[in-house]
Amino acid sequence: MSERDAILARVRRGAGRRALHPGPHPPPELPGGWDTFAATLATVGGEAHGPFAPNALGDALVALVRRRTDGGRVVAEPSAAERAGRGPWEVAREPAVGHGFADAAVALVLGRAAAADCGAVAVLEDDAPHRALPFLCQRLVLLLPVAGLRPDLHGAWDSLPAAAWRSHHVTWISGPSKTADIEQTLVYGAHGPLGLDVVGVLD
Amino acid sequence: MTASFDRRALATLPSRGELAQHDAAVWDLRRRRDAAAASVPDWEALRERAAGIKAFALDHLDELLTGFEERARAAGAHVHWATDATALCRIVTELLAARGARRVVKSKSMLTEECGLNPHLEARGVEVVDTDLGERIVQLAGEPPSHLIVPAIHKTRREIGALFHRTMGTPAGEDDPERLTRLARADLRRRFLSADAGITGANFAVAESGSIVIVTNEGNADLGASLPPLHVACLGIEKVIPALADLPVFLRLLARSATGQPISAYTSVITGPRPGGELHLVLVDNGRSELLANPAQRSALACIRCGACLNTCPVYRRAGGHAYGTVIPGPIGSVLGPTVGALGRELPHASSLCGSCSAVCPVKIDLHGQLLAWRGATVRKRPRGERALVAAAALALRSAALLGPARALLRLAWPLLARAGRANPAAGWLEARELPPLPRESFRAQWKRKRSAQRAEGERRRKPESAQRAEGERRRKPESAQRAEGERRQGREVVEK
Repeated sequence: MSERDAILARVRRGAGRRALHPGPHPPPELPGGWDTFAATLATVGGEAHGPFAPNALGDALVALVRRRTDGGRVVAEPSAAERAGRGPWEVAREPAVGHGFADAAVALVLGRAAAADCGAVAVLEDDAPHRALPFLCQRLVLLLPVAGLRPDLHGAWDSLPAAAWRSHHVTWISGPSKTADIEQTLVYGAHGPLGLDVVGVLD
Repeated sequence: MTASFDRRALATLPSRGELAQHDAAVWDLRRRRDAAAASVPDWEALRERAAGIKAFALDHLDELLTGFEERARAAGAHVHWATDATALCRIVTELLAARGARRVVKSKSMLTEECGLNPHLEARGVEVVDTDLGERIVQLAGEPPSHLIVPAIHKTRREIGALFHRTMGTPAGEDDPERLTRLARADLRRRFLSADAGITGANFAVAESGSIVIVTNEGNADLGASLPPLHVACLGIEKVIPALADLPVFLRLLARSATGQPISAYTSVITGPRPGGELHLVLVDNGRSELLANPAQRSALACIRCGACLNTCPVYRRAGGHAYGTVIPGPIGSVLGPTVGALGRELPHASSLCGSCSAVCPVKIDLHGQLLAWRGATVRKRPRGERALVAAAALALRSAALLGPARALLRLAWPLLARAGRANPAAGWLEARELPPLPRESFRAQWKRKRSAQRAEGERRRKPESAQRAEGERRRKPESAQRAEGERRQGREVVEK
């Protein structure tokens, strides 16, 4: 008998088959909206900007990126660059995972959904094909269409297209990289970005 | 508490100051958890739901595991099964060797700690770097983690500064947490970029999609899972849940229970390998199926490793994680400890049974009830001699006539019972306890002695009536006698002048 079959046989002996699945959790009645999201994001170390009308987005982004980079390299994933228009950023074309982005000062990535109750933004593989970029950059800027914002994580989760779950990754990002491993002192930028900006976009 | 537990606790937190600092740090996590839970209106409903999903998952674990395997394979991942720690170590070693991988970045995984993967790989010339900052600290110190979420919570910034100086060449005397974190970040960044393989754990596995879910605050698991060409994820078989829609229930509970955050900074749902990479999933039993077959204790497998039970436990807070001598400390470690054979007899006693652990558990594991059950199980497993001794004690304690002689006999046998050795029927008992020195006088003898002394005093006060009358007479002397006495005193005074 293979290890697999031996383990499954033992598990089968222990499986009770009594419990029923409790079903979906009824969505809680929570306040939603951009202000709630921005307030929650602030508690986890992120900063919300906007939301901006599409025609004002470009200027707002350029100003923000200039403030954050101090002249460093800015890399935008293709879908984010498409939304943002032209600016002081290069469009990520590297086919590799992202080793080449280790010197990126700022990365611009498009988010698809967000939950106001936890300040988390969902980033899909299609919008972040360079998987390591959002973690290698010094600061991450996420563009978030406000239509993707839901009051709670259940709603935001369900709003993602089914195809997203079949792709390699869906990453929920809530604030910058952080640690409190040294005497519980909160420090941003343990490995990934030192800061996170979420820029709201009105559709 | 037991003697060896106490010794390890003192070794971890040797001074009153360190103990107080540990206690305060851990309690602060508990306070944050309370505030976070209070801010969620459906908190208790979420806990109920999470417990229900986990109960379903454990009851249908075989189906979920095969479903997960099928879908993970369909998504391009390789699935391996490991009966025990030896099998896990062998599988990972072979995967690395086949690809010539010598440099491995690893993110936090209590399972690989449990299975001793790091020392196994290091002995075969593989450089394994733990990348979670707390894990890196304890790795450099050559210590096991002392907390599920904050592995180096027992260490002060000074100790960490000195450790970094010694092992990484950072400036001497540097103990600022932010600067120390930056130094570690720079050191680890180059290791991520040059790694041949990344090893991670997984917080959940989803049967519906064949996905694994990795939750971190630092982003180290995402870097480790995406930069190297090979990603090996090691997960216990109990991590499988039915559906993607179940995840928000756990994610809303996990970080709030752990640190009070609304959600961890990064939650990645990974399905299949990244383009151009390889993903290997190792499903590990290592005693879990045995626990599953135990109806009284299987719910411990529902644990989502938030650490809330540690943060609230009065024993953990004052003893520190190393006192437990297991990879997972605290109440959940004491429940799981006996299943992996470590210190089985001792750990169920490392609890006050106050029930606070059960009250904060996000998946409603009856932790203190399980600890009590383990205590019962360890008693039933005692050697025959010891059980005979306990039965004799029970008999003597039930009979007033037997108690006296039994007591006297026990006093005579005490020096023999305190001695270790096979001939001693209490030897097993003494493995986890210390026989206190026998007082010179028993409580009963003291009681008798004091009681008789009190009685004598009472007797003295309650003298017979005639004696009391005589005393009164003596005090009430006739007037003439009193007068004579007065004159006698005055005369003496005159003479003395």
